[in-house]
Amino acid sequence: MIQFSEVTKRYPGGHEALSSATFSIEQGELVFLTGHSGAGKSTLLKLIAAIERPTSGVVSVNGQNVGRLPQRAIPYLRRNIGLVFQDHKLLFDRNVMENVVLPLDIAGFDRRESLKRARAVIDKVGLLNREKANPISLSGGEQQRLCIARALVSRPALLLADEPTGNLDPGYAADIMSMFRDFHQVGTTLVIATHDERAITALGGRTLHLDHGRIAEATT
Amino acid sequence: MISWLRHQKYALTAALYRLRMQPVSSLLTALAMGVAISLPGGLYLSLANLGQVAGKLPAQPEISLFLDTLASDTHRQAVATRLKQPDIAEAYFVPKDQALAALISSQGLTDIAAGLTQNPLPDAWVVRPQLSSREELARVAHDLAKLPGVAETHLDSLWAERLQAGLSIGRASVWLLAGLFAIALIAISGNAIRAQVLARRDEILVSRLIGATDRHIRRPFLYLGALQGLLGGLAAIGVLAIAGTILRQPVSHLADLYGSSFQLIPPSPLEIATVLVLTTISGWFGAWLTVTRALHQVETAH
Repeated sequence: MIQFSEVTKRYPGGHEALSSATFSIEQGELVFLTGHSGAGKSTLLKLIAAIERPTSGVVSVNGQNVGRLPQRAIPYLRRNIGLVFQDHKLLFDRNVMENVVLPLDIAGFDRRESLKRARAVIDKVGLLNREKANPISLSGGEQQRLCIARALVSRPALLLADEPTGNLDPGYAADIMSMFRDFHQVGTTLVIATHDERAITALGGRTLHLDHGRIAEATT
Repeated sequence: MISWLRHQKYALTAALYRLRMQPVSSLLTALAMGVAISLPGGLYLSLANLGQVAGKLPAQPEISLFLDTLASDTHRQAVATRLKQPDIAEAYFVPKDQALAALISSQGLTDIAAGLTQNPLPDAWVVRPQLSSREELARVAHDLAKLPGVAETHLDSLWAERLQAGLSIGRASVWLLAGLFAIALIAISGNAIRAQVLARRDEILVSRLIGATDRHIRRPFLYLGALQGLLGGLAAIGVLAIAGTILRQPVSHLADLYGSSFQLIPPSPLEIATVLVLTTISGWFGAWLTVTRALHQVETAH
């Protein structure tokens, strides 16, 4: 599903975040990205979602060369990818429901159908009783679950999560990780950048370790 | 097609929501637009009213028709009959004795008149045609001059031409002002939309990350611009309505003093609709001009 071949990303100023990375991820796999902060985990996820373009090498997702994708095709690529951010990137001028339904509005779904789907996914992350709440009134863990709900509402085949449990108490973190395990079990491909060693041992799966932009496969 | 409609509906809803969320700044923008548009609008209405006054003035353009001193009674009768036709609004006969008496009394020519052995003035008609356009006046005067027994006709159309010239300068100024204020409107709208785009930075960035096309992001802002324009047009009409209410009493008082029943004419529904359509288009256009640039700024700021 995802292939990196000899991918290098150098930021303006010369910092090389990723150096000749080559690996592939199959459909339905659960992959953890580990490594110290600044090792290139976020950059790798951004390259998959075409938020950044590689300096050299080929990033391909579903057979599409993402690095060479024209600007106007990028939105359609992103609609098939669910993104979970460490800082949630929620919109505080609307309630929980409106946040979750946003990707469906963007894709032009029928509003009633959208609301139904949004309600189902809000239920799945356990926020149904907070549907009308403003996200600012939610706890960190709830905000992260809301972010996950928004990433999942369009039923993407691929979910990218950047430090999804980074700011959370261990209890919440375990919650979120078990949620990810459920998605993995229904066939979603997951790539999760994390420090959380416990989660990795709990969920199993493959680990890609990054060290100063260089990739090393590790099995736990 | 259905998806397209859904996108339009979504954008309109979003635009209305944004308008509602900032009632004060929306209102101020609409007022700024309204005042700008009310200036050419007011001038246009004043001219329309002035034209109306010109049409109703007692001092209508007149044609003086002088009869041949030797004209037979048959010819005189024929002229009188011709002057009863529908293209003539009013005609009255001025016998030569009456004309002489008027001349003597008004100009103080008693001495000269005393020296006259006979009245040198001809009998005359003063004719007011139904229509007061320049062409019509000339046509009627020419027509009457050809009647047998008519020595000459004299068309007093100079003041009508001056009025026409004045009104046409006025009309040109309306278009000039309208053009200038349309530019102002576009600038006001563009500026308001730019502020909106920058204020909604987060939403734009997040929308991009979850697959929004630029067109999708741009659309609510275009609707917002159009709605602001529409509100501006409504504000302009409100300003003019208030001005009309304030002026109605003094104007009808002045008209009374002139013995006229003149009333201020309000704009027609078509004119109101035209103003609203034009302001809506200007608002949309202003938004369109700035939104792409502003979106780019949001991107680079990120």
